Amino acid sequence: MTSPDLNPLQLGGQVPNFELSVYDPIKNDFGTISLAEIKSQGKWTILFFYPADFTFV
Amino acid sequence: MGAVLITVSTDTQFVHLAWKRHEKSLENVQFLMGADPSGKVSRLFGVYVEDAGLALRGTFLINPEGRLLNSEVSFFNMGRNIDELMRKFKANLYLAKKPAEACPAQWKDEGDKTLTPGPSMVGKVHEALAK
Repeated sequence: MTSPDLNPLQLGGQVPNFELSVYDPIKNDFGTISLAEIKSQGKWTILFFYPADFTFV
Repeated sequence: MGAVLITVSTDTQFVHLAWKRHEKSLENVQFLMGADPSGKVSRLFGVYVEDAGLALRGTFLINPEGRLLNSEVSFFNMGRNIDELMRKFKANLYLAKKPAEACPAQWKDEGDKTLTPGPSMVGKVHEALAK
């Protein structure tokens, strides 16, 4: 397996804006979210990456 | 708590919906489930494994100004501790309000002892923590 490039983003640095398609369980609907949107709400962003649905932690 | 939690995998949003509906332990999930099938965001954070087409177990904390303040990445088979994630988030929230302080290793929640680094503390951390 080729090793990923760990953290090309510098800790303490600015994260460029990104956008993700999401499933929102509260609205039970699809949508999108962007870092810019969360920042404009004055909130923190916690990104939690994981390999795959239907698998085990 | 002033944060937006987004879980991200390379599955599409349709798989997320199906998984949420199917898996009982996800019943009370309220967070946004992000879909990154092209791997674009996973690559941005350096957690995309090209051969597998999957993301590693990475957790990243970004403040409201867009600065990356914390990152933790583990390989596929090791789960992350959610208490530890809460501790990191609370510590970061606290320190954002009190930039002159530092949260020592034993810090768990607001109200726990913090340190105010300065010249008088050099070589005297033990005494500072014992106060």
